[in-house]
Amino acid sequence: MARVPGQVDARATVIAALAFILAVALMPAGAYAAMAAAWLLVATAGALRGIAPLTLARRGGIVFPFVLAALPLIFIRSDEVIWEGLVGPFSLHVSGVGLRIALSALLKAWISVQASIVLVATADAPTIVVALRRMRLPDAIATSAGLTIRYLELLRDEAQRMLRARAARSVSPVGVGGERVGGSIAWRARTTGNLVGSLFLRAYARAARVEEAALSRGATGSLSTGSLPTADRYLGVKVVAAVTLLLALSAFGQVVPRL
Amino acid sequence: MHLPDGFLAPQLALALWVATAAIVGFALRRLSASSDEASAAQRPILMGIVGAFIFAAQLFNFPVAAGTSGHLLGGVLAGYLLGPWAGTIVMTTVIGIQALIFQDGGLLALGANIFNMGIIGTLGGALVARSIATALGGSRVATIAAAGAAGWLSVMAGAGVTTLQLGLSGTTDVSIGLPAMLGIHALIGIGEGLITIAALTFIATTAPDLLTLGAPTRASATRRILVGSGISLLVAALAALFASADPDGLQRVALTLGFHTAANTPPFELFPGYTIPGIDSATGTLLIAVVGVGIIFTAILLLSRIAARRGRQ
Repeated sequence: MARVPGQVDARATVIAALAFILAVALMPAGAYAAMAAAWLLVATAGALRGIAPLTLARRGGIVFPFVLAALPLIFIRSDEVIWEGLVGPFSLHVSGVGLRIALSALLKAWISVQASIVLVATADAPTIVVALRRMRLPDAIATSAGLTIRYLELLRDEAQRMLRARAARSVSPVGVGGERVGGSIAWRARTTGNLVGSLFLRAYARAARVEEAALSRGATGSLSTGSLPTADRYLGVKVVAAVTLLLALSAFGQVVPRL
Repeated sequence: MHLPDGFLAPQLALALWVATAAIVGFALRRLSASSDEASAAQRPILMGIVGAFIFAAQLFNFPVAAGTSGHLLGGVLAGYLLGPWAGTIVMTTVIGIQALIFQDGGLLALGANIFNMGIIGTLGGALVARSIATALGGSRVATIAAAGAAGWLSVMAGAGVTTLQLGLSGTTDVSIGLPAMLGIHALIGIGEGLITIAALTFIATTAPDLLTLGAPTRASATRRILVGSGISLLVAALAALFASADPDGLQRVALTLGFHTAANTPPFELFPGYTIPGIDSATGTLLIAVVGVGIIFTAILLLSRIAARRGRQ
Protein backbone atom coordinates (compact mmCIF):
# COMPACT_ATOMS: atom_id res chain seq x y z
CA MET A 1 0.00 0.00 0.00
CA ALA A 2 1.34 3.44 -0.87
CA ARG A 3 2.05 5.30 2.36
CA VAL A 4 1.67 8.90 1.23
CA PRO A 5 -0.59 10.59 3.81
CA GLY A 6 -4.04 11.25 2.48
CA GLN A 7 -3.37 9.42 -0.78
CA VAL A 8 -4.98 6.12 0.20
CA ASP A 9 -8.71 5.49 0.16
CA ALA A 10 -9.32 4.35 3.73
CA ARG A 11 -13.10 4.29 3.57
CA ALA A 12 -13.31 0.49 3.73
CA THR A 13 -11.07 0.43 6.84
CA VAL A 14 -13.10 3.12 8.61
CA ILE A 15 -16.42 1.41 7.82
CA ALA A 16 -15.09 -1.99 8.89
CA ALA A 17 -13.83 -0.57 12.22
CA LEU A 18 -17.15 1.12 12.96
CA ALA A 19 -19.15 -2.00 12.01
CA PHE A 20 -16.89 -4.11 14.22
CA ILE A 21 -17.41 -1.83 17.23
CA LEU A 22 -21.18 -1.86 16.63
CA ALA A 23 -21.18 -5.67 16.42
CA VAL A 24 -19.28 -5.87 19.72
CA ALA A 25 -21.65 -3.38 21.36
CA LEU A 26 -24.66 -5.47 20.30
CA MET A 27 -23.33 -8.59 22.04
CA PRO A 28 -25.44 -9.47 25.07
CA ALA A 29 -23.85 -9.50 28.52
CA GLY A 30 -22.28 -12.85 29.23
CA ALA A 31 -21.68 -13.86 25.60
CA TYR A 32 -18.00 -14.39 26.36
CA ALA A 33 -17.44 -16.85 23.50
CA ALA A 34 -18.55 -14.24 20.97
CA MET A 35 -16.33 -11.64 22.66
CA ALA A 36 -13.40 -14.03 22.42
CA ALA A 37 -14.11 -14.44 18.70
CA ALA A 38 -14.22 -10.65 18.31
CA TRP A 39 -10.94 -10.32 20.15
CA LEU A 40 -9.41 -12.97 17.89
CA LEU A 41 -10.53 -10.96 14.87
CA VAL A 42 -9.08 -7.68 16.10
CA ALA A 43 -5.88 -9.35 17.29
CA THR A 44 -5.47 -10.91 13.83
CA ALA A 45 -6.00 -7.55 12.15
CA GLY A 46 -3.47 -6.02 14.56
CA ALA A 47 -0.95 -8.76 13.92
CA LEU A 48 -1.30 -8.21 10.17
CA ARG A 49 -0.35 -4.58 10.79
CA GLY A 50 2.61 -5.66 12.87
CA ILE A 51 1.19 -5.08 16.34
CA ALA A 52 1.76 -7.95 18.75
CA PRO A 53 -1.46 -9.07 20.49
CA LEU A 54 -0.04 -8.43 23.95
CA THR A 55 1.09 -4.93 23.01
CA LEU A 56 -2.37 -4.30 21.62
CA ALA A 57 -3.97 -5.70 24.77
CA ARG A 58 -1.76 -3.55 27.00
CA ARG A 59 -2.51 -0.38 25.03
CA GLY A 60 -6.20 -1.23 25.24
CA GLY A 61 -5.85 -1.17 29.01
CA ILE A 62 -6.51 2.58 29.02
CA VAL A 63 -10.23 1.77 29.37
CA PHE A 64 -9.79 -0.25 32.57
CA PRO A 65 -10.38 2.63 35.02
CA PHE A 66 -13.83 2.99 33.53
CA VAL A 67 -14.98 -0.23 35.16
CA LEU A 68 -15.38 1.87 38.32
CA ALA A 69 -18.69 3.07 36.84
CA ALA A 70 -20.06 -0.48 36.70
CA LEU A 71 -18.48 -1.76 39.92
CA PRO A 72 -21.32 -0.80 42.31
CA LEU A 73 -23.71 -3.02 40.32
CA ILE A 74 -21.88 -6.10 41.57
CA PHE A 75 -22.83 -5.29 45.17
CA ILE A 76 -26.10 -3.42 44.60
CA ARG A 77 -28.04 -5.83 42.45
CA SER A 78 -29.84 -8.45 44.47
CA ASP A 79 -30.47 -11.03 41.73
CA GLU A 80 -28.46 -14.25 41.44
CA VAL A 81 -26.49 -13.79 44.65
CA ILE A 82 -23.39 -15.93 44.33
CA TRP A 83 -21.61 -14.91 47.53
CA GLU A 84 -22.75 -13.38 50.76
CA GLY A 85 -20.81 -12.53 53.88
CA LEU A 86 -19.41 -10.00 56.27
CA VAL A 87 -16.47 -7.79 55.34
CA GLY A 88 -15.53 -6.05 58.56
CA PRO A 89 -18.64 -4.33 59.84
CA PHE A 90 -20.39 -4.48 56.45
CA SER A 91 -22.57 -7.26 55.17
CA LEU A 92 -21.86 -7.72 51.47
CA HIS A 93 -23.26 -9.80 48.66
CA VAL A 94 -22.01 -10.35 45.14
CA SER A 95 -24.62 -10.46 42.38
CA GLY A 96 -23.96 -12.73 39.45
CA VAL A 97 -25.94 -10.44 37.16
CA GLY A 98 -24.00 -7.37 38.30
CA LEU A 99 -20.72 -9.19 37.86
CA ARG A 100 -21.73 -10.27 34.35
CA ILE A 101 -22.73 -6.72 33.34
CA ALA A 102 -19.54 -5.16 34.71
CA LEU A 103 -17.25 -7.76 33.19
CA SER A 104 -19.04 -7.67 29.80
CA ALA A 105 -18.88 -3.85 29.62
CA LEU A 106 -15.19 -3.93 30.47
CA LEU A 107 -14.41 -6.61 27.86
CA LYS A 108 -16.44 -4.83 25.17
CA ALA A 109 -14.69 -1.53 25.90
CA TRP A 110 -11.31 -3.22 25.85
CA ILE A 111 -11.96 -5.04 22.53
CA SER A 112 -13.42 -1.91 20.91
CA VAL A 113 -10.50 0.31 21.85
CA GLN A 114 -8.13 -2.25 20.33
CA ALA A 115 -10.09 -1.92 17.09
CA SER A 116 -9.54 1.86 17.20
CA ILE A 117 -5.83 1.32 17.79
CA VAL A 118 -5.63 -0.99 14.77
CA LEU A 119 -7.56 1.56 12.69
CA VAL A 120 -5.05 4.31 13.49
CA ALA A 121 -2.16 1.93 12.80
CA THR A 122 -3.68 1.13 9.40
CA ALA A 123 -4.47 4.66 8.27
CA ASP A 124 -2.81 7.81 9.61
CA ALA A 125 -4.78 10.84 10.77
CA PRO A 126 -4.85 12.83 7.48
CA THR A 127 -5.86 9.67 5.59
CA ILE A 128 -8.77 9.10 7.98
CA VAL A 129 -9.88 12.72 7.59
CA VAL A 130 -9.78 12.38 3.79
CA ALA A 131 -11.79 9.13 4.02
CA LEU A 132 -14.37 10.82 6.24
CA ARG A 133 -14.54 13.74 3.81
CA ARG A 134 -15.34 11.28 1.03
CA MET A 135 -18.02 9.88 3.31
CA ARG A 136 -19.65 13.32 3.28
CA LEU A 137 -18.26 14.70 6.52
CA PRO A 138 -19.21 18.41 6.31
CA ASP A 139 -16.44 20.52 4.82
CA ALA A 140 -16.22 22.92 7.79
CA ILE A 141 -15.53 20.01 10.15
CA ALA A 142 -13.09 18.29 7.79
CA THR A 143 -11.13 21.52 7.26
CA SER A 144 -11.13 22.30 10.96
CA ALA A 145 -10.05 18.76 11.83
CA GLY A 146 -7.24 18.79 9.25
CA LEU A 147 -5.85 22.05 10.60
CA THR A 148 -6.24 20.95 14.20
CA ILE A 149 -4.19 17.83 13.48
CA ARG A 150 -1.61 19.90 11.63
CA TYR A 151 -1.08 22.39 14.49
CA LEU A 152 -1.59 19.96 17.37
CA GLU A 153 2.06 19.11 17.98
CA LEU A 154 3.14 22.71 17.67
CA LEU A 155 0.72 24.07 20.25
CA ARG A 156 1.25 21.09 22.53
CA ASP A 157 4.98 21.78 22.57
CA GLU A 158 4.23 25.41 23.33
CA ALA A 159 1.94 24.38 26.20
CA GLN A 160 4.54 21.96 27.55
CA ARG A 161 7.19 24.69 27.56
CA MET A 162 4.83 26.94 29.50
CA LEU A 163 4.09 24.16 31.98
CA ARG A 164 7.79 23.50 32.50
CA ALA A 165 8.39 27.19 33.10
CA ARG A 166 5.52 27.26 35.56
CA ALA A 167 6.81 24.23 37.44
CA ALA A 168 10.28 25.79 37.60
CA ARG A 169 9.07 29.13 38.93
CA SER A 170 5.83 29.02 40.78
CA VAL A 171 3.03 26.52 40.98
CA SER A 172 3.75 23.02 42.08
CA PRO A 173 1.51 21.02 44.38
CA VAL A 174 4.38 19.77 46.49
CA GLY A 175 7.78 21.33 47.02
CA VAL A 176 11.09 19.51 47.22
CA GLY A 177 10.85 19.05 50.97
CA GLY A 178 7.18 18.09 50.84
CA GLU A 179 5.93 21.57 51.70
CA ARG A 180 3.24 23.22 49.63
CA VAL A 181 4.57 25.73 47.12
CA GLY A 182 2.69 28.59 45.57
CA GLY A 183 -0.28 30.58 46.78
CA SER A 184 -3.88 29.77 47.51
CA ILE A 185 -6.03 27.68 45.20
CA ALA A 186 -7.50 30.84 43.67
CA TRP A 187 -3.99 32.14 43.03
CA ARG A 188 -2.95 28.87 41.41
CA ALA A 189 -6.07 28.84 39.25
CA ARG A 190 -5.36 32.40 38.16
CA THR A 191 -1.78 31.53 37.23
CA THR A 192 -3.00 28.58 35.15
CA GLY A 193 -5.71 30.73 33.56
CA ASN A 194 -3.11 33.32 32.58
CA LEU A 195 -1.13 30.60 30.81
CA VAL A 196 -4.27 29.42 28.99
CA GLY A 197 -5.02 33.02 27.99
CA SER A 198 -1.55 33.68 26.69
CA LEU A 199 -1.51 30.37 24.80
CA PHE A 200 -4.76 31.46 23.15
CA LEU A 201 -3.25 34.79 22.13
CA ARG A 202 -0.26 32.99 20.60
CA ALA A 203 -2.57 30.59 18.76
CA TYR A 204 -4.66 33.52 17.56
CA ALA A 205 -1.62 35.42 16.31
CA ARG A 206 -0.49 32.32 14.45
CA ALA A 207 -3.95 31.82 12.95
CA ALA A 208 -3.98 35.44 11.75
CA ARG A 209 -0.56 34.98 10.15
CA VAL A 210 -1.51 31.70 8.46
CA GLU A 211 -4.76 33.27 7.27
CA GLU A 212 -2.94 36.19 5.68
CA ALA A 213 -0.51 33.86 3.95
CA ALA A 214 -3.32 31.61 2.72
CA LEU A 215 -5.43 34.52 1.46
CA SER A 216 -2.49 36.04 -0.36
CA ARG A 217 -2.12 32.79 -2.26
CA GLY A 218 -5.76 32.61 -3.23
CA ALA A 219 -7.19 30.27 -0.61
CA THR A 220 -10.95 29.98 -0.60
CA GLY A 221 -11.46 28.74 2.93
CA SER A 222 -11.40 24.99 2.44
CA LEU A 223 -8.35 22.91 3.21
CA SER A 224 -6.84 20.59 0.59
CA THR A 225 -8.97 21.46 -2.40
CA GLY A 226 -6.43 19.40 -4.32
CA SER A 227 -7.29 16.02 -5.72
CA LEU A 228 -8.70 13.40 -3.42
CA PRO A 229 -7.05 9.98 -3.65
CA THR A 230 -8.23 7.64 -6.35
CA ALA A 231 -11.22 5.67 -5.19
CA ASP A 232 -10.76 2.14 -3.94
CA ARG A 233 -12.04 -0.01 -6.82
CA TYR A 234 -12.95 -2.85 -4.50
CA LEU A 235 -14.67 -0.64 -1.91
CA GLY A 236 -18.08 -2.26 -2.43
CA VAL A 237 -16.68 -5.80 -2.18
CA LYS A 238 -14.66 -4.97 0.95
CA VAL A 239 -17.58 -3.32 2.71
CA VAL A 240 -19.95 -6.19 1.90
CA ALA A 241 -17.34 -8.71 3.10
CA ALA A 242 -16.73 -6.80 6.33
CA VAL A 243 -20.41 -6.31 7.08
CA THR A 244 -21.18 -9.98 6.35
CA LEU A 245 -18.43 -11.12 8.67
CA LEU A 246 -19.62 -8.79 11.40
CA LEU A 247 -23.26 -9.79 10.96
CA ALA A 248 -22.11 -13.38 11.47
CA LEU A 249 -20.19 -12.28 14.56
CA SER A 250 -23.24 -10.44 15.89
CA ALA A 251 -25.52 -13.43 15.22
CA PHE A 252 -23.00 -15.68 16.96
CA GLY A 253 -23.20 -13.32 19.95
CA GLN A 254 -26.98 -13.78 20.07
CA VAL A 255 -27.00 -17.58 19.97
CA VAL A 256 -23.89 -18.42 21.97
CA PRO A 257 -24.63 -19.78 25.46
CA ARG A 258 -24.23 -17.05 28.06
CA LEU A 259 -22.36 -17.61 31.26
CA MET B 1 -15.63 11.85 31.05
CA HIS B 2 -14.82 10.42 27.60
CA LEU B 3 -17.05 7.33 27.54
CA PRO B 4 -15.39 4.31 25.92
CA ASP B 5 -17.34 1.86 23.76
CA GLY B 6 -19.02 -1.03 25.53
CA PHE B 7 -20.58 0.87 28.41
CA LEU B 8 -23.47 2.41 26.50
CA ALA B 9 -26.40 0.40 25.17
CA PRO B 10 -25.96 0.46 21.37
CA GLN B 11 -29.52 1.75 20.88
CA LEU B 12 -28.79 4.72 23.15
CA ALA B 13 -25.41 5.33 21.50
CA LEU B 14 -27.02 5.38 18.05
CA ALA B 15 -29.84 7.66 19.23
CA LEU B 16 -27.28 10.10 20.62
CA TRP B 17 -25.36 9.96 17.33
CA VAL B 18 -28.54 11.01 15.52
CA ALA B 19 -29.25 13.82 18.01
CA THR B 20 -25.65 15.02 17.83
CA ALA B 21 -25.60 14.96 14.03
CA ALA B 22 -28.83 16.97 13.91
CA ILE B 23 -27.61 19.63 16.33
CA VAL B 24 -24.12 19.88 14.80
CA GLY B 25 -25.78 20.12 11.38
CA PHE B 26 -27.89 22.97 12.72
CA ALA B 27 -24.76 24.67 14.08
CA LEU B 28 -23.08 24.32 10.66
CA ARG B 29 -26.11 25.87 9.02
CA ARG B 30 -26.12 28.76 11.47
CA LEU B 31 -22.43 29.22 10.84
CA SER B 32 -22.67 29.37 7.06
CA ALA B 33 -25.69 31.65 7.31
CA SER B 34 -23.76 34.37 9.15
CA SER B 35 -22.20 36.76 6.65
CA ASP B 36 -20.33 38.94 9.14
CA GLU B 37 -16.76 39.29 7.80
CA ALA B 38 -15.20 39.46 11.26
CA SER B 39 -17.04 36.44 12.66
CA ALA B 40 -15.31 33.14 13.28
CA ALA B 41 -17.55 31.48 10.69
CA GLN B 42 -15.66 33.09 7.84
CA ARG B 43 -12.33 31.99 9.26
CA PRO B 44 -11.84 28.22 8.95
CA ILE B 45 -8.11 28.53 9.66
CA LEU B 46 -8.83 30.27 12.96
CA MET B 47 -11.28 27.50 13.90
CA GLY B 48 -8.74 24.78 13.11
CA ILE B 49 -5.94 26.40 15.08
CA VAL B 50 -8.24 27.16 18.02
CA GLY B 51 -9.08 23.44 17.98
CA ALA B 52 -5.39 22.67 18.41
CA PHE B 53 -5.30 25.30 21.18
CA ILE B 54 -8.14 23.56 23.06
CA PHE B 55 -6.20 20.29 22.80
CA ALA B 56 -3.08 21.92 24.20
CA ALA B 57 -4.98 23.87 26.87
CA GLN B 58 -6.34 20.58 28.24
CA LEU B 59 -2.76 19.85 29.27
CA PHE B 60 -2.85 22.70 31.74
CA ASN B 61 -3.53 20.85 34.91
CA PHE B 62 -4.21 22.79 37.98
CA PRO B 63 -2.81 21.49 41.27
CA VAL B 64 -5.61 21.41 43.82
CA ALA B 65 -3.73 19.55 46.53
CA ALA B 66 -0.79 17.17 46.57
CA GLY B 67 -1.56 14.32 44.21
CA THR B 68 -4.81 15.61 42.77
CA SER B 69 -5.27 18.09 40.00
CA GLY B 70 -8.13 19.28 37.85
CA HIS B 71 -7.61 20.11 34.22
CA LEU B 72 -9.33 22.40 31.80
CA LEU B 73 -11.96 21.01 29.43
CA GLY B 74 -12.35 24.31 27.62
CA GLY B 75 -15.90 23.88 26.36
CA VAL B 76 -17.25 27.19 27.59
CA LEU B 77 -13.96 28.92 26.79
CA ALA B 78 -14.22 27.80 23.14
CA GLY B 79 -17.86 28.84 22.96
CA TYR B 80 -16.95 32.20 24.41
CA LEU B 81 -13.97 32.95 22.21
CA LEU B 82 -15.59 31.85 18.93
CA GLY B 83 -19.30 32.12 19.62
CA PRO B 84 -21.57 29.18 20.45
CA TRP B 85 -21.91 27.79 16.91
CA ALA B 86 -18.29 27.94 15.80
CA GLY B 87 -17.26 26.83 19.29
CA THR B 88 -19.52 23.77 19.00
CA ILE B 89 -17.96 22.84 15.66
CA VAL B 90 -14.47 23.22 17.12
CA MET B 91 -15.29 21.07 20.17
CA THR B 92 -16.94 18.46 17.93
CA THR B 93 -13.73 18.29 15.94
CA VAL B 94 -11.54 18.11 19.04
CA ILE B 95 -13.60 15.32 20.64
CA GLY B 96 -13.71 13.47 17.31
CA ILE B 97 -9.92 13.61 16.94
CA GLN B 98 -9.46 12.50 20.54
CA ALA B 99 -11.59 9.43 19.85
CA LEU B 100 -10.27 8.59 16.37
CA ILE B 101 -6.59 9.20 16.91
CA PHE B 102 -5.91 9.05 20.64
CA GLN B 103 -8.53 6.44 21.66
CA ASP B 104 -9.79 8.91 24.24
CA GLY B 105 -13.45 7.88 24.11
CA GLY B 106 -15.11 5.27 21.91
CA LEU B 107 -16.26 5.57 18.29
CA LEU B 108 -19.79 4.30 18.80
CA ALA B 109 -19.88 6.40 21.98
CA LEU B 110 -18.54 9.42 20.07
CA GLY B 111 -22.04 10.75 19.46
CA ALA B 112 -22.67 10.62 23.21
CA ASN B 113 -19.32 12.22 24.03
CA ILE B 114 -19.87 15.09 21.58
CA PHE B 115 -23.37 15.48 22.99
CA ASN B 116 -22.19 15.55 26.62
CA MET B 117 -19.16 17.77 26.18
CA GLY B 118 -19.50 19.61 22.89
CA ILE B 119 -23.22 20.29 22.79
CA ILE B 120 -24.12 20.49 26.48
CA GLY B 121 -20.72 21.93 27.42
CA THR B 122 -20.03 24.38 24.63
CA LEU B 123 -23.35 25.18 22.97
CA GLY B 124 -25.36 24.93 26.19
CA GLY B 125 -22.56 26.49 28.24
CA ALA B 126 -22.07 29.47 25.94
CA LEU B 127 -25.81 30.09 25.67
CA VAL B 128 -26.25 29.83 29.44
CA ALA B 129 -23.25 32.15 29.92
CA ARG B 130 -24.92 34.73 27.69
CA SER B 131 -28.21 34.46 29.52
CA ILE B 132 -26.49 34.90 32.89
CA ALA B 133 -24.40 37.81 31.56
CA THR B 134 -27.51 39.54 30.24
CA ALA B 135 -29.28 38.97 33.53
CA LEU B 136 -26.32 40.46 35.42
CA GLY B 137 -26.38 43.62 33.31
CA GLY B 138 -23.91 42.75 30.57
CA SER B 139 -20.83 44.55 31.89
CA ARG B 140 -17.40 43.07 31.21
CA VAL B 141 -17.04 41.76 34.76
CA ALA B 142 -20.53 40.26 34.61
CA THR B 143 -19.76 38.61 31.27
CA ILE B 144 -16.60 36.99 32.56
CA ALA B 145 -18.18 35.90 35.84
CA ALA B 146 -21.05 34.39 33.83
CA ALA B 147 -18.52 32.39 31.80
CA GLY B 148 -17.04 31.05 35.03
CA ALA B 149 -20.46 30.03 36.34
CA ALA B 150 -21.30 28.40 33.00
CA GLY B 151 -17.95 26.59 33.11
CA TRP B 152 -18.85 25.04 36.45
CA LEU B 153 -22.36 24.19 35.24
CA SER B 154 -21.08 22.62 32.01
CA VAL B 155 -18.85 20.23 33.94
CA MET B 156 -21.68 19.31 36.33
CA ALA B 157 -24.24 18.87 33.54
CA GLY B 158 -21.81 16.80 31.45
CA ALA B 159 -21.02 14.50 34.39
CA GLY B 160 -24.68 14.19 35.35
CA VAL B 161 -25.88 13.39 31.84
CA THR B 162 -23.05 10.90 31.33
CA THR B 163 -24.07 9.07 34.50
CA LEU B 164 -27.72 9.04 33.44
CA GLN B 165 -26.74 7.57 30.07
CA LEU B 166 -24.78 4.84 31.83
CA GLY B 167 -27.77 4.26 34.11
CA LEU B 168 -30.11 3.94 31.12
CA SER B 169 -27.67 1.46 29.60
CA GLY B 170 -27.70 -0.57 32.80
CA THR B 171 -23.96 -0.30 33.35
CA THR B 172 -24.04 1.83 36.47
CA ASP B 173 -26.19 2.27 39.52
CA VAL B 174 -27.56 5.78 39.31
CA SER B 175 -28.36 6.01 43.02
CA ILE B 176 -24.64 5.60 43.81
CA GLY B 177 -23.09 6.87 40.58
CA LEU B 178 -24.90 10.19 40.35
CA PRO B 179 -24.00 11.57 43.79
CA ALA B 180 -20.44 10.30 43.37
CA MET B 181 -19.96 11.81 39.91
CA LEU B 182 -21.62 15.11 40.80
CA GLY B 183 -19.64 15.30 44.03
CA ILE B 184 -16.29 14.86 42.31
CA HIS B 185 -17.21 17.12 39.42
CA ALA B 186 -18.42 19.89 41.71
CA LEU B 187 -14.72 20.25 42.63
CA ILE B 188 -13.39 19.74 39.10
CA GLY B 189 -15.95 22.29 37.93
CA ILE B 190 -14.59 24.90 40.33
CA GLY B 191 -11.18 24.49 38.68
CA GLU B 192 -12.80 24.80 35.25
CA GLY B 193 -14.73 27.92 36.26
CA LEU B 194 -11.73 29.65 37.87
CA ILE B 195 -9.41 28.90 34.94
CA THR B 196 -12.05 30.09 32.46
CA ILE B 197 -12.45 33.35 34.40
CA ALA B 198 -8.68 33.88 34.65
CA ALA B 199 -8.07 33.10 30.97
CA LEU B 200 -10.84 35.44 29.80
CA THR B 201 -9.64 38.19 32.16
CA PHE B 202 -6.14 37.83 30.76
CA ILE B 203 -7.39 38.00 27.16
CA ALA B 204 -9.74 40.90 27.95
CA THR B 205 -6.84 42.85 29.47
CA THR B 206 -4.26 42.03 26.81
CA ALA B 207 -6.35 42.03 23.65
CA PRO B 208 -9.86 43.34 24.42
CA ASP B 209 -10.93 43.41 20.77
CA LEU B 210 -10.63 39.61 20.47
CA LEU B 211 -13.48 39.02 22.88
CA THR B 212 -15.95 40.53 20.42
CA LEU B 213 -15.43 37.52 18.13
CA GLY B 214 -18.12 35.52 19.86
CA ALA B 215 -20.26 38.52 20.79
CA PRO B 216 -23.98 38.05 20.21
CA THR B 217 -25.37 39.73 17.12
CA ARG B 218 -28.98 39.50 18.22
CA ALA B 219 -30.95 37.29 20.55
CA SER B 220 -33.11 35.36 18.10
CA ALA B 221 -36.23 33.46 19.05
CA THR B 222 -34.54 30.19 18.04
CA ARG B 223 -31.71 30.83 20.43
CA ARG B 224 -34.06 31.50 23.30
CA ILE B 225 -36.05 28.37 22.44
CA LEU B 226 -32.85 26.32 22.32
CA VAL B 227 -31.75 27.59 25.73
CA GLY B 228 -35.20 26.96 27.10
CA SER B 229 -35.38 23.39 25.76
CA GLY B 230 -31.88 22.60 26.99
CA ILE B 231 -32.57 23.82 30.49
CA SER B 232 -36.00 22.16 30.63
CA LEU B 233 -34.47 18.88 29.43
CA LEU B 234 -31.98 18.99 32.28
CA VAL B 235 -34.56 19.95 34.88
CA ALA B 236 -37.03 17.33 33.64
CA ALA B 237 -34.37 14.65 33.64
CA LEU B 238 -33.16 15.43 37.15
CA ALA B 239 -36.67 15.88 38.53
CA ALA B 240 -37.84 12.59 37.06
CA LEU B 241 -34.85 10.85 38.53
CA PHE B 242 -35.31 12.10 42.07
CA ALA B 243 -39.08 12.43 42.20
CA SER B 244 -40.61 9.00 41.85
CA ALA B 245 -39.61 6.05 43.98
CA ASP B 246 -42.86 4.07 43.93
CA PRO B 247 -43.61 1.53 41.18
CA ASP B 248 -45.69 3.92 39.19
CA GLY B 249 -45.88 5.25 35.69
CA LEU B 250 -44.40 3.23 32.89
CA GLN B 251 -43.99 0.10 34.95
CA ARG B 252 -47.63 0.00 36.02
CA VAL B 253 -48.61 0.50 32.39
CA ALA B 254 -46.31 -2.35 31.45
CA LEU B 255 -47.87 -4.60 34.09
CA THR B 256 -51.39 -3.77 32.95
CA LEU B 257 -50.65 -4.33 29.30
CA GLY B 258 -48.72 -7.51 29.89
CA PHE B 259 -45.45 -6.06 28.61
CA HIS B 260 -43.93 -7.06 31.89
CA THR B 261 -43.36 -10.68 30.90
CA ALA B 262 -42.38 -9.66 27.40
CA ALA B 263 -39.84 -7.29 28.85
CA ASN B 264 -38.25 -10.05 30.87
CA THR B 265 -37.40 -12.20 27.88
CA PRO B 266 -36.32 -9.80 25.16
CA PRO B 267 -34.28 -10.94 22.13
CA PHE B 268 -31.93 -8.21 23.25
CA GLU B 269 -32.74 -5.69 25.89
CA LEU B 270 -33.80 -2.27 24.61
CA PHE B 271 -32.52 -0.50 27.70
CA PRO B 272 -31.01 -3.09 30.02
CA GLY B 273 -31.14 -0.57 32.90
CA TYR B 274 -34.90 -0.79 32.76
CA THR B 275 -34.82 -3.86 34.95
CA ILE B 276 -32.68 -2.49 37.79
CA PRO B 277 -34.71 -2.97 40.95
CA GLY B 278 -35.54 0.20 42.84
CA ILE B 279 -34.98 2.65 40.05
CA ASP B 280 -37.02 1.18 37.22
CA SER B 281 -39.90 3.59 37.68
CA ALA B 282 -37.48 6.52 37.85
CA THR B 283 -35.75 5.29 34.72
CA GLY B 284 -39.10 4.92 32.99
CA THR B 285 -40.17 8.41 33.90
CA LEU B 286 -36.77 9.68 32.86
CA LEU B 287 -37.09 7.94 29.53
CA ILE B 288 -40.48 9.53 28.93
CA ALA B 289 -39.15 12.95 29.93
CA VAL B 290 -36.15 12.67 27.61
CA VAL B 291 -38.19 11.35 24.69
CA GLY B 292 -40.84 14.04 25.24
CA VAL B 293 -38.39 16.91 25.33
CA GLY B 294 -36.60 15.36 22.35
CA ILE B 295 -39.81 15.32 20.30
CA ILE B 296 -40.59 18.91 21.26
CA PHE B 297 -37.03 19.94 20.46
CA THR B 298 -37.16 18.29 17.02
CA ALA B 299 -40.55 19.80 16.30
CA ILE B 300 -39.29 23.28 17.20
CA LEU B 301 -36.24 22.90 14.96
CA LEU B 302 -38.34 21.62 12.03
CA LEU B 303 -40.98 24.30 12.48
CA SER B 304 -38.36 27.06 12.72
CA ARG B 305 -36.86 25.89 9.45
CA ILE B 306 -40.24 25.83 7.75
CA ALA B 307 -40.99 29.27 9.15
CA ALA B 308 -37.64 30.63 7.94
CA ARG B 309 -38.26 29.24 4.45
CA ARG B 310 -41.75 30.69 4.34
CA GLY B 311 -40.45 34.06 5.55
CA ARG B 312 -37.92 34.24 2.75
CA GLN B 313 -40.49 33.69 0.00
